[in-house]
Amino acid sequence: MTVLKTSMRNFFAHKGRMALSAVAVLLSVAFVCGTLVFTDTMNTTFDKLFAATSSDVTVSAKDASDTGETTSDNGKPPVMPASVLTKVRESQGVKTAEGTVFSTSVTVVDADKDNLSPSSGAPTIVGSWNGNDARTMKITSGAAPRGSGQVMVDKDTADKHHLKLGDEIGVISAVGTHTARISGIAAFQVTNPGAAIFYLDTRTAQQTLVGEPDVYTNVNVTAAAGVSDEQLKKNVTAELGTAGYKVQTAKETADANRADVGGLLNVMKYAMLGFAGIAFLVGIFLIINTFSMLVAQRTREIGLMRAIGSSRRQVNRSVLAEALLLGVVGSVLGVGAGIGLAVGLMKLMGMTGMNLSTDDLTVAWTTPVVGLALGVIVTVLAAWLPARRAGKVSPMAALRDAGAPADAKAGAVRAVLGLLLTGAGGYGLYLASAADKAKEGSLWLGLGVVLSLIGFVVIGPLLAGGVVRVLGTVLLRAFGPVGRMAERNALRNPRRTGATGAALMIGLALVACLSVVGSSMVASATDQLDKTVGTDFIIQSDNGQLITPQAVRAVKDTPGLERVTEYKWTKADFTTPDGRTLDGTAITAADPSYATDLRTETVAGKLADAYEPDSMSVHEKFAEDHDIHLGSKIAVAFDNGSTARLTVRAITSSDVVIDQGAMYTSIDTMKKYVPADKLPLDQLVFASAKDGQQDAAYTSLKSALHDYPQYSVRDQTDYKQALKDQIGQLLNLIYGLLALAIVVAILGVVNTLALSVVERTREIGLMRAIGLSRRQLRRMIRLESVVIALFGALLGLGLGMGWGATAQQLLALEGLTVLEIPWPTITAVFVGSAFVGLFAALIPAFRAGRMNVLNAIATD
Amino acid sequence: MTSAVTIPRHGGTGGRTAVAARARQVVKAYGSGETRVVALDHVDVDIARGQFTAIMGPSGSGKSTLMHCLAGLDTVTSGQIHLDDTEITGLKDKKLTQLRRDRIGFIFQAFNLLPTLNAIENITLPMDIAGRKPDKEWLARVVDTVGLSDRLKHRPTQLSGGQQQRVAVARALAARPEIIFGDEPTGNLDSRAGAEVLGFLRRSVDELGQTIVMVTHDPVAASYADRVLYLADGRIVDEMFKPTADAVLDRMKDFDARGRTS
Repeated sequence: MTVLKTSMRNFFAHKGRMALSAVAVLLSVAFVCGTLVFTDTMNTTFDKLFAATSSDVTVSAKDASDTGETTSDNGKPPVMPASVLTKVRESQGVKTAEGTVFSTSVTVVDADKDNLSPSSGAPTIVGSWNGNDARTMKITSGAAPRGSGQVMVDKDTADKHHLKLGDEIGVISAVGTHTARISGIAAFQVTNPGAAIFYLDTRTAQQTLVGEPDVYTNVNVTAAAGVSDEQLKKNVTAELGTAGYKVQTAKETADANRADVGGLLNVMKYAMLGFAGIAFLVGIFLIINTFSMLVAQRTREIGLMRAIGSSRRQVNRSVLAEALLLGVVGSVLGVGAGIGLAVGLMKLMGMTGMNLSTDDLTVAWTTPVVGLALGVIVTVLAAWLPARRAGKVSPMAALRDAGAPADAKAGAVRAVLGLLLTGAGGYGLYLASAADKAKEGSLWLGLGVVLSLIGFVVIGPLLAGGVVRVLGTVLLRAFGPVGRMAERNALRNPRRTGATGAALMIGLALVACLSVVGSSMVASATDQLDKTVGTDFIIQSDNGQLITPQAVRAVKDTPGLERVTEYKWTKADFTTPDGRTLDGTAITAADPSYATDLRTETVAGKLADAYEPDSMSVHEKFAEDHDIHLGSKIAVAFDNGSTARLTVRAITSSDVVIDQGAMYTSIDTMKKYVPADKLPLDQLVFASAKDGQQDAAYTSLKSALHDYPQYSVRDQTDYKQALKDQIGQLLNLIYGLLALAIVVAILGVVNTLALSVVERTREIGLMRAIGLSRRQLRRMIRLESVVIALFGALLGLGLGMGWGATAQQLLALEGLTVLEIPWPTITAVFVGSAFVGLFAALIPAFRAGRMNVLNAIATD
Repeated sequence: MTSAVTIPRHGGTGGRTAVAARARQVVKAYGSGETRVVALDHVDVDIARGQFTAIMGPSGSGKSTLMHCLAGLDTVTSGQIHLDDTEITGLKDKKLTQLRRDRIGFIFQAFNLLPTLNAIENITLPMDIAGRKPDKEWLARVVDTVGLSDRLKHRPTQLSGGQQQRVAVARALAARPEIIFGDEPTGNLDSRAGAEVLGFLRRSVDELGQTIVMVTHDPVAASYADRVLYLADGRIVDEMFKPTADAVLDRMKDFDARGRTS
């Protein structure tokens, strides 16, 4: 009991010193809980949405996906004849059955040809207005569409793009472009997940989306009273026969949708939890440091406790009890903050078009439990070492003159262990860079990263000596004696400086590693583009829409072009000479001119030959794995088509970035085996200008595609820039998430400084007494902070660049052949760290400056 | 009304006699109302230049407070303190810091040295802070006088208590301050080490013409001074010139007896 009482008193006596550690626990727990609450809320929202939008039983074409997503390679949704509707209506237990037509392979534009599709990646849906939708949408102005000239739009889209009744909009599908005027606006009665929805009447939808009358993508069936969904499904299936159609109950549709969305949400959840984990890791350093310093400061007190009869275990336990209190306080606040964070994230999503309602806020009982358990366990574990050290304090400590706690020396065991770990890590990285199999290499890379990180953490205190001295010589000498004292202070407890720097190191190492890999990606791709791309313009969609025949026609009709290459992609089941059948293998079909547009190197044969009738190419690895040589025959069973026996006429190098792993055949060959109406639309279109007409052709192409805002045409320069921007965006997102770990590390620097200022109260008093001005004192503390921060940055950047370079070496197997160190980023991070140091020292320096000289001298 | 405004008539140095520091009607009080405690009660004092002054008195008599106020470490409630011609009461922290740095030396009872700096760095610290170059010749003489020539590269933890205090003395002397304040500088030392340090202080007065004010409760330490001031209940109650340890001890006993009978 006394143990607990002492712990409580200590905890509250030092609540200021505990505050930053509590904030670190709070942040990490909040991130975990926030992620859990947010993803759970998303799941709830989607569950409600799916439950509301599914009819009792839905019949769709065999080719339709389980989620009822209505897209296919040929740009038209898979449809069923009207006879299906009649048959369904004849089934037993059917109350109503309604045929609908929907497609997501569409782009909708306003009168100025500006894209009305969401930029967030959420789908654009065009479909027939029907009873099922009327349950979830409420017409707020105008009326439902009637006749081919009318369209109804959802309110969110209308508001975002300032659309009003009577405005003209165009629906672009594989059939063509259909224009109509807005007859009505309908508001979502359920949460809109960000999609843009446009309604036509059924006949117009059939014509616009499919180009045929009397076809449906779905038949929505409602059950008569007393008929269960399962029974209804059985009845309908019996009537339709087993083949040709997909019949799903509301639950099945919702489950399929949930699995679809859930997969994505899970990826997001685990990625965010990963970053929370990094923050926890960094937080551990902070907690270890805090407790080490508190124990050191309390050495005399602990000695007294031991002298008057406390056992080691009691002392040990009293420190752990304090950690437990810290963990509980930090975690409880963290759970609360996590829920706040989730609400904030929902608001943020609202800005991108996804309106999440706080009514759906879902806090599973596991969320606070997980948050509390994590926070408490991590805190107590982190305090383990300092607690053990406290237990080892001898009763003699009570009698010794206290003064400042003895400076800790970094031991020889640490040196050996650290060197061994770092060495092992380095060897792992070396093996990774030398590996010739990506799978094996990535294993070594992972091992090397983990070991070298631990090695650096262990050896950090030893490195602190050397690195701080070098930094001191370079940077601090300019500040004279104040700089020198700052350097000495940073050096006096290498373990502390090491741990504080290491916390910053982790975050920055990841930043450096990713920036190296990212810029190497850009550099490698650019290099490959320069070397292999022989076309002037690349036309592609920015949101995954395929290129409609009308748009391809527009490109082909553009003046000043020498050639236009179409590029399609589909899946096929391959049967290779080794007798194996590979289902769903990707095959690329392009015009023969593609061999000129992309000069992929071959290891055998000529690529141009692969575009001969009934010929194809494979890539080197595939050829090795399946014992394929020039002249081998592969049976290719095209999806939606028949089986071809294609002769391998070229084997391409696997060592490429662009089109890696692609296997080529000609579009003409594909056309022989895939019926025209099932032929996939173009993924990409390449265009090359006639000599000397590049600029004019670029302008003409852009204006030719003006009516199709979903497609971008880029010349090589713009394409490289787009690539760079894309990778840059991804990196920025990751940096943003890593910022959490870095914030915790900064808290660690603040904490270390604040505690060492307290620890050095007498020293500071002495220096002030003999004439150190407040300004000089503050500068001294700031410089110390800067040195610690730069130490962490130097280690982190060095380690991260090493990781990044190794990853690049490994990925060279996958075509990442160029190593590029992004020096501007690295320099910016280094300089930024100095500012982080300055920032972290603000409050500790201020407090030290305010210290009363006399009190400081008198402090025991 | 307490006063020790006495220009020494039998000054030891025999030369210049001027006032290095003077306090007039200095009051230092803590708290207010019922809990008001007066540490210094209208004290007048002159510290003679080139002399070694000891301040004595029982615990709580205000001797440390007086020294802290004279040295500009503490503020006064009322009254004035001058250091040479400069009035230090009412100075802002910045000026006070500068004054301590450039014109005053300190020796504390313990914890005089920065553990991160070696002996010579500690000695030159006030000048380093001020950005001044130490006078090499003077520094060598000071170091020599305190007998530390072979220990200059040692860290404080590698020095004995007596050596540490000698480093502190050297630091106080090195910058040639107008006045050195010592707060029980030998309080933590055994009698031999204490005698060594006091000997250096005496010699720095005699040979280097240094002005020193020292707070102590040790009659032996006080006997090294030229003049002893006695404080009791925040007032100067007596003074003694050319003290000897026995005389000081007798006087102390006297105060004790008087304190008990009154």
